[in-house]
Amino acid sequence: MDGQDTSRIHVGPGPAPSPTWPGGARPRLLPDASPPPPEPLLLDADTLPVDCAATRGPLFRLALKTGALTVITLGFYRFWMKSRLRRWYWSSVRPGGLPLEYVGEPLEKLLGFLIAVALLAFYIGVVNLLLMFLSLSVFEGAAPAFLLSFVGVIPLWFYARYRARRYVLGRTRWRGLRFGMDPGAWGYAKTALGHWAATILTLGLLWPRMTFALEKYRTDRTWFGSLKLRQTGDWRMLVPAFTPLAVAGLATAGIGLLALFSAPEFAAGLILAVPAFLYAMIHYTVTAKRLMAEAKRAGDLRLSARPRPPRILRIYLFGGIAMVIVTAVLLSPLVIAFGVLQGELEARMIEDPILLAALGLVAYMISALIWATLTHVFITMPKWRHYAETLTLHGAESLPWVHQRHRDEATQAEGFAEALDVGAAI
Amino acid sequence: MRAATTITVGSHAPQFNGHGIWIDGQSGRPRRVALSFDDDAGEMVIDNRIAWPFQRIRRLRDQADPDRIVLRSADDRVGRLVLERPEELRVIETRARRLNRAPPPNVPLARIVAWAAAALASVALIIFVLVPVMADRLAGFLPLEGERALGEATFEQIRRALGDEFEGPLSTCDAPEGQAALIALQERLLPHADLAVPVTLRVLDHEMVNAFALPGGQIVVFRGLIDAAGTAEEVTAVLAHEMGHVAARDPTRIALRSAGSIGVLGLLLGDFAGGAVVLALTNQLIQADYTREAEAAADTYAHRVLLDADLPPEGIATFFERLAGDAGAPTALEQHFLSHPAMGDRIAAARAATPDGRSFAPALTEAEWAALQAICEE
Repeated sequence: MDGQDTSRIHVGPGPAPSPTWPGGARPRLLPDASPPPPEPLLLDADTLPVDCAATRGPLFRLALKTGALTVITLGFYRFWMKSRLRRWYWSSVRPGGLPLEYVGEPLEKLLGFLIAVALLAFYIGVVNLLLMFLSLSVFEGAAPAFLLSFVGVIPLWFYARYRARRYVLGRTRWRGLRFGMDPGAWGYAKTALGHWAATILTLGLLWPRMTFALEKYRTDRTWFGSLKLRQTGDWRMLVPAFTPLAVAGLATAGIGLLALFSAPEFAAGLILAVPAFLYAMIHYTVTAKRLMAEAKRAGDLRLSARPRPPRILRIYLFGGIAMVIVTAVLLSPLVIAFGVLQGELEARMIEDPILLAALGLVAYMISALIWATLTHVFITMPKWRHYAETLTLHGAESLPWVHQRHRDEATQAEGFAEALDVGAAI
Repeated sequence: MRAATTITVGSHAPQFNGHGIWIDGQSGRPRRVALSFDDDAGEMVIDNRIAWPFQRIRRLRDQADPDRIVLRSADDRVGRLVLERPEELRVIETRARRLNRAPPPNVPLARIVAWAAAALASVALIIFVLVPVMADRLAGFLPLEGERALGEATFEQIRRALGDEFEGPLSTCDAPEGQAALIALQERLLPHADLAVPVTLRVLDHEMVNAFALPGGQIVVFRGLIDAAGTAEEVTAVLAHEMGHVAARDPTRIALRSAGSIGVLGLLLGDFAGGAVVLALTNQLIQADYTREAEAAADTYAHRVLLDADLPPEGIATFFERLAGDAGAPTALEQHFLSHPAMGDRIAAARAATPDGRSFAPALTEAEWAALQAICEE
């Protein structure tokens, strides 16, 4: 009977009386209205846990406000939106209690974008025109021109992504020290193209080799203050995490082909195969990140990382559901207003099709704004928080001997990524 | 006991003893520091070594945790002060009145303005000079088959852009009797047209009053134009004018231009405006904003072909006048047409090209004209 007593659920206010206290029930598991104590600032410890201060409410307000300004200014404010959101995200991550700082400025992003547009306008205008002419002259069709023009932009994507990362790292500080990245965007584009070619030719089997090589290329050029980072390890360490993905991928493709060409009844198998494939994808992405983070070195500094694939799956799953529900709730006034005014609106619209187009555009913009905001709140931020909170920094006693590096002017900022629309989620 | 109850006024008390962590921005060694005020100098003093004028203290903005307060001086790009006790900010706030202002930007505004001007000038140069000049040059070298392919692609692009999301691309009108009438008009004009490319005439089911030529000898007439025309001669005159553009390869230039500029505009406006760009450029294709010289040349060509085919060039004049004199309010498009400064000249030129007192053979029989007007009815 005594054993039952200890497991009884306590519903009243205040802490539950526990017969085994302090050895049994831990008080922090019980409802507690007092605010959590501020995270301690660890200045001299060797092992620094990373905590994350990101919460949904403030992010929702910031993302909605900056997103609305971006829509109202026809996209012009997006450089400010990006800078402000990054400041927020960066400041939420605090190894040993001291936050990261993002110091990128909106105006330099605008400048970089303008430079990229000026350079790309030449490429896209003149080169596309020549390609179109050649394609029409030689192939008597426009399709080869579109294909060639697309293929010509692919190296630029990788170039742009490297430049964007270099810019973002160059504007990230922790403990007052700048991160940085050596130039090498064209080399990155070359490496990426080579690995993509190898991956495609082996039907995806060399994917882990590419994941590792590209991460190594970036990491080996990254600096934290005067410390150079190194990616140790080997691509083969990613293979065990990749095996389920390869199996699920082959199974999905096999079942799909069977269902398509010979036995349609196999299509039911996709109900199992596709989710398995998606989960295997999450498992591989998360595990690869973890393994590669733990194999990074910077002097005596190293990381331990414990991100969990099931947690990321839950974020996608429940985050997605939450997004749909909240969007429906937020848009319902719009839908109701439309329902009430329908008769009135229809009469007006027949007179004035411009009104219809304008209303449609406004409704589209509002929906896109809400969706983008909720993506931050329910997907991007929870993932960010999970990755941050599961990190621990070791070897921090060496930090006092790290010194500052020069500011990377990075005049073009992330302009190419912005113009080509290959930026990261944040 | 006495000291504790002394009430002091002025700048000497109460003493502020704050707690901060100083990050010097030179090494990765944060230090605990004591904060105090020097009200005479108007400064916050950090560990008796660094003094920040109150007016220059700034707070980092957009921070995720409102209780983890990081301060900086507007004059120091790297040094940071983290408050160990967030409640001490209230005291600092009483002195540092410009805490929430933005720190000065790193990039000088003048440089941004200069680069912005350069970028916009370069884009303008490319769209308005380089691409048109290249397009005009290249159009002359394009082989016929290439021109036809370009025309076909452009035609499909226009059908899609003007079509309905639900009913698909704009449909072509091909009622058999109407087609026969169209071919009759074509046969009447072509022997005198002297064109290097075979001509294809098509009618699209759209209410816009418009006709245009596409590369490779395609001429497209909207149903709206046939509806608005009073006689078959007016439609014929419009067709002859479009043949003039075909003869001069004007549409090829326009289509090549749009191939060059469509991507540039998409780049500037970003993805969500992509659809609008395609629509705008399609509009440009069918409105075919040719130069005044190109229009005049096509008119002159049309006058000659029409006279040779025993048809009145006056059709151009009566058609434009009919649009202007229409009882119903003119649409925005017609307004645009009619307000065009060259329009009066074109009407006058068509009149002048028609010899007084000459009689012409009708373009179509009454029955054929009725069939052409019904070409879009199934």
